Formats: sequence, structure tokens, C-alpha cells
Amino acid sequence: MRRVYALLVKELIDLRANPALFVPAVLTGLTSLALPFVIAIVIPHLTGERLSDSSDFQLALDMYRSEPATTGLNPEGAVQGWIFQQFLLLLVFAPIAGAMSVAAYTVIGEKQARTLEPLLATPLTTFELLGAKVLGALIPSVGLTFAGFLLYFGGVWLLADPGVYRVLLTIRSLSIVFMLGPLAALAALQLAVCVSSRVNDARSAQQIGALIILPLSGLLVAQLMGRVQLTTPAMIAAALVLALLNVLLMRIGVSIFDRESILTRWK
Amino acid sequence: MLSAINLTRRFGDRLAVENASLTLEPGQIFALLGPNGAGKTTTLRMLAGLIEPSSGSVNVNGRAMSRHTAAEVRGHVGFLTEAPGLWDRLTVRQNLTVYARLHGVPHVDQAVNETMALFGIADRAAQPAAQLSKGLKQRVALARTLLHKPDVVLLDEPTSGLDPQSARDVRELVLRLRDEGRAVLLSTHNLDEVERVADRVAVLRTRMIAVDTPAALRARLFGSRLKIALAQDASLLVATVAGPGISEVTSEEQTLLVSVDNPSMRTPALVRRLVAAGADILSVVPDEPSLEEIYLRLLKDAQDERRADPAKGSQ
Repeated sequence: MRRVYALLVKELIDLRANPALFVPAVLTGLTSLALPFVIAIVIPHLTGERLSDSSDFQLALDMYRSEPATTGLNPEGAVQGWIFQQFLLLLVFAPIAGAMSVAAYTVIGEKQARTLEPLLATPLTTFELLGAKVLGALIPSVGLTFAGFLLYFGGVWLLADPGVYRVLLTIRSLSIVFMLGPLAALAALQLAVCVSSRVNDARSAQQIGALIILPLSGLLVAQLMGRVQLTTPAMIAAALVLALLNVLLMRIGVSIFDRESILTRWK
Repeated sequence: MLSAINLTRRFGDRLAVENASLTLEPGQIFALLGPNGAGKTTTLRMLAGLIEPSSGSVNVNGRAMSRHTAAEVRGHVGFLTEAPGLWDRLTVRQNLTVYARLHGVPHVDQAVNETMALFGIADRAAQPAAQLSKGLKQRVALARTLLHKPDVVLLDEPTSGLDPQSARDVRELVLRLRDEGRAVLLSTHNLDEVERVADRVAVLRTRMIAVDTPAALRARLFGSRLKIALAQDASLLVATVAGPGISEVTSEEQTLLVSVDNPSMRTPALVRRLVAAGADILSVVPDEPSLEEIYLRLLKDAQDERRADPAKGSQ
């Protein structure tokens, strides 16, 4: 762990010295933060139409009537609560998408800067190297997610109907932010680092890394369409699957990391 | 301290290094010479535990290098790669601190401060590596290589591209390492540098062509040589020089180069013969062929041998 910590500190110093690397993550995070407020509050305010009067949100209304967190909310508040909870997934995944490019570049970037060979000449093991690289991308992206959630919660508390903020304090919402999100981020970033250690130029790494967010986007769309219901048991099951997937991905990452190819064939 | 036995490394069909063996003793500077593509960097990477040999073995401080021990063995080796490989956005201190931690150096801050003072880079501690000159980067890279006080130090082209002053600084550091009892393996194209610092020399061209001290290589290839300066054209006197104990005579304008088996015994008779033939001798001095001559001769001999027996040098 000492060596993981040493390299992790380097990764974080490097990112701090080059904050522009996280601009995409911050921008996508802010966009995803603003979007539900535009739909749930700004547009109804500008048009003078209530969301609860729209037949488009009837399903949401029906679903939310049975939720304990929405007990006591008026129909408009219940629709707002539904929107804010649905977009929570986007809020959680957006910074991960931004961090993908950082993770995808991490090994190939070291190789191109010719800093990888001295690093590999230390007692650092492949597990430690990949672990530090993944954590180096994970910590800032999860940090951004948590910060985004605080802003989100504050915004809902201030701008939405009274009591709507309670939907963000349910076990389901908190599990999305503090359990499912970090686990999904870990899996996605591990995949990106695996990609980074297999391709031999940065553009390929970033393009393949970008593909990894497609399943996450699919999940979000399915949820908005009502095809997937993220119930608490479903989330616990998803978290267990993600935890197992993370263990598997780390093993795969270590086994496919080929020091020799990286040193001798990459240019 | 370090021994490599019959190291062979193939990359697909290409043979990069074949049956290379060497030993590195404490307090010794061993120079690895060879043309581009001869396998020097591959050899260093195998010795540093970065890549596995296809066959053969490496032993560092009594510990055999294997897939399972490589990480531990790397802790006893300092490897200066061809490029300094510093993290540009990190300061000099941060670069060194990360490596000190990776190597598990105790009292990291103290060790980093001492190393920076030793290498004369303490005043650059807070400077990002990107802002350093090439010479300073190399010095920081050397400091990084030696931070954990490795017993075995492998240096890949340590003075490549450096100005004369920086190159001299690096040479002095290498000599200091020898004085401290470390085993140093130096891969370089700079024969002058090797002449100044190396105790033993190996010439690699996929295979080890020769491994010995510079003096022994000189004696083996050229024997003892006399350089005779004349007042007239030396080519006219080449035939006069021939005699017992004299193996080779060449002339260059007003100079004769004579290879003899025993200079103290043969020189008086040789001078008498030349004087009798009308030579006006200006001086007679022992001539030591430069390392460059030795190196070029070894490569030429290896090439001739390969032409004569292509199977020996198949790559």
C-alpha cells in the first residue's frame, strides 16, 4: 500500500498542476446538474404550465404516489421529486465520463512522456501501478460527484417545492450517490486503464475509453423510459455485481498488462 | 554482486541478444559498448528486471531474478534509463520524493534533502522538472537512480546529449560510485568516456564479442607497439624493420608503427637496423592504441568471422 500511496500522491499532484484535464468532467457534471432544474423548475415557471397537469408525467405521478418519501407532497412536488431522482443517475455518471479520458490516457501518457520505464524499474508491482492509476482518476471523479450532489441537494432544497429534497435523502438516492456511483466509477475507470495499457497511442485510448460510457448512458435512458426500476433490492444486487466485476477487472488488468510490449514495442 | 549467464532474448523472429554473459563486481565500472541495435538496452533491461530473458539467468546479490522475485530484486538495482523520464509538472523534490517512497527509503525527507545536496540540485528543489536544462534533468535522474543507495547501478547512455561540463560532472559521479563500492554498468557510445572511467569493457553485437580490461584487450589485439618518428618518409623503411619478434609494421607519413613481442629486448636491435639503413630517428615511444581502435578492430573481426561463418552471427 505504501507504493500505491506514493504513486497516487504523484497522480494527484500531477492533476492539480494540470486542472484543465478535469474540465470535461466538471463541465459534464455542471450540465447534468443544471438539466433537471431546467426541466422541473425553469420551464414550468417560464411557460406557466404545471408538470403535474401534463399527461407525460402521469406515470411518474402514479409511481411516486406510492413512495413514502413523497407522502405529503402535492402532485407538482411529486413530479419534481421523480425528475430529480431520475437525473441523480446522470449526476453520478457525468463526472465519471469526464474522468474516462484521464484514465484512458494514464499509462500511454507515461509511455509517451518516457516516464514509464524508470517507474517500472522500481519494485512497484503491476497491481500497485494499476491500482494507483485507477485511484488517481477515481478520487477526483468521486469527489466531483459528491460535491455535485451537495450542490444538487442545495438547489433542490432552495428551488423545488417544499419537502421535495426528501427524495434525495432516501436509501435509494443515497445508495446511488455513495455506493453504486463509486462502484460503477471504479469499474469504468479500471476498464479505461486496461485500455490504456493495451493500446499504443493516446487517441485510440481516448476513443475506446469514450465507448465505455455507452452502457452507462443506456442505463440512464432505460431508467427515464421506465424500462428499468432502480429499487433498493435491485441496487444492492447491482452493487454486488459491480463489486465482483471490480475484483475481476483488477485481475484481468494485471494479467493483460504486458510490461515487455509496452517497453519494447510502443513508440 | 551481479552476474548474467548466457542471456538470450528474442523478439519474435528477431534475436536481440544471444548468450551474453558478464559479471559485475563491487567497486567496478564495467562499460558495455556496441553499435546501435546491438542489444545494449535490451541487455540492461534484462539486468534491471524489466524484461525477461528468453533463456539464461540474472543473479543480483545472490538472488536469482525470476518473475516472482523481479520486483524485490529491482529494489537492489538503480537503473538510469536513456531518457531522464522526469514528471514535468512535478518539482525536483516531488519527483525524488515519489521515487524514495516507491523504493521504501526510510526518512524520506532527509534522504531527498541529502541526495539533492550531494548532486548539487538543492537550489532547484522547488522548480518543476519541465523548466530544467537537459544537463540538470540528467543530474536529477541520476539522483533518482541512486536515491535508494542501490548496490548495482545500470546507466544507459548517461552523458548522451550533454554539454562537456555536464558530461564531466556525470563522469565524476560515476567514479564516486566506484569509490563507494558500487558495481556500475555503463552503456555508452562515448569511447573517450569509457577510456577515462571503465575498469572492464564488453563489446556487444548481439553476442558478446569481447569482455576484458582495456589493457588486456589492447595486448590481445595489438600486442605491444612502438611508435617511431622519423625525419623522412617512413614507407621506405617498412621492409628494413621486419625481423624476429616483429609481427606488424605500418607507416603513416613520417611515422612507423611496429608491433613487437617484447619491446625492451627488440627495441635496441630495431633502432640499430633503422640507423644502418640511413633512418634519421626523432623519437621512439611505446604506442597505446586508443579504445576506438580496439573497438573498431573487434567489430571488424566479428564481421569478418560472421562472413566466414554466417551461422555464427545469424540474427
